[in-house]
Amino acid sequence: MSVRLKVTEAIKQIAKEQHVTLPELTDGLSLHETGFDSLAFAILVARLEDELGVDPFTISEDAAFPATVGDFVRAYENVPA
Amino acid sequence: MHNVLVTGGSRGIGLAIATRLAGAGYNVIAVARRETEELAAAVRASEKRLHFRACDLAVIDAIPAFAKLVRDEFGAIYGLVNNAGLGTEGLLATMHNSEIEALVQLNVLSPIILTKYIARHMMADGAGRIINISSIIASTGYNGLSVYGATKAAATGFTRSLAREVGKLGITVNAIAPGFIDTELTHNLSDEGRKRIAGRSALRRLPDTEDVARMVEYLLGEGGRNVTGTVFTIDAGNTA
Ligand SMILES: NC(=O)c1ccc[n+]([C@@H]2O[C@H](COP(=O)([O-])OP(=O)(O)OC[C@H]3O[C@@H](n4cnc5c(N)ncnc54)[C@H](OP(=O)(O)O)[C@@H]3O)[C@@H](O)[C@H]2O)c1
Repeated sequence: MSVRLKVTEAIKQIAKEQHVTLPELTDGLSLHETGFDSLAFAILVARLEDELGVDPFTISEDAAFPATVGDFVRAYENVPA
Repeated sequence: MHNVLVTGGSRGIGLAIATRLAGAGYNVIAVARRETEELAAAVRASEKRLHFRACDLAVIDAIPAFAKLVRDEFGAIYGLVNNAGLGTEGLLATMHNSEIEALVQLNVLSPIILTKYIARHMMADGAGRIINISSIIASTGYNGLSVYGATKAAATGFTRSLAREVGKLGITVNAIAPGFIDTELTHNLSDEGRKRIAGRSALRRLPDTEDVARMVEYLLGEGGRNVTGTVFTIDAGNTA
């Protein structure tokens, strides 16, 4: 499974658990519009750390959280090996 | 078997907590910079329920990797006891800035960052108990403990707001505020001073490390199910 697919699968799984109705996950979709609250994002980052073994937001020097779904996925795709 | 991480588990209050929890059937990971003889003996007697893992928790950048290491080795962490701490005394006016920084670093920054990396997995797992060791000095005053008192007040402030934040996911967060207890941290207190504090306490004695360990066991167990965002004072009535 590609990183992109793993990330979107995790988003869908958490949406189900948290009873969030997701809009279609396009790259341009703002993370605010996903319906996820900050708690859901925290769970997402923790799950992905387990699954992919990385937390790109801890490694990154940049304190800003991504703005769109595309940026979020790319943060995981571009992790330096 | 629930995993519980106890920081500062090598001596004093932390060792009492770690030993009691291992005896109560938890799988305990005690963290400190060095393993003591006492902890090594407790590990040997524990039938593989007590483990020591070294980490200098004052090195903040090492904490994320340490949290991951523990999780990879032991699995989901159910309980976190933030107990490691410094008790450096000093008059503010003459305390070295490096001493002030070291106190804030280990007593405030370190447990907050460790909790961040442990709690978010608790969130993903949907369960967990977090216990922060504060002190009665957080709410009473003591000459020479202004910086220490500030760090311990930070622990209770952190406890209350975090309890609000993670309660929805079934995680509890509480603090314990012990009074003076005989450990290495309080070795500077004279016999005289000790007697004075005991004499001012309702029960005319000082609490000991086991009292704190019992409270931790309670908060981790069934009894703690509906207890969150609060502070438990264990001081033999010193502040009553
Ligand atoms: N004793 C009291 O009267 C009293 C009263 C109220 C609250 N408290 C609180 O209770 C907690 C425990 O106190 P205690 O009296 O048991 O102290 P202690 O006997 O001095 O033990 C401190 C523990 O913290 C560990 N530690 C210190 N620096 C560390 C570091 N950089 N990284 C990792 N671990 C570190 C120590 O192991 P290493 O040195 O090997 O790292 C040791 O295991 C503290 O938070 C203290 O503020 C104590």
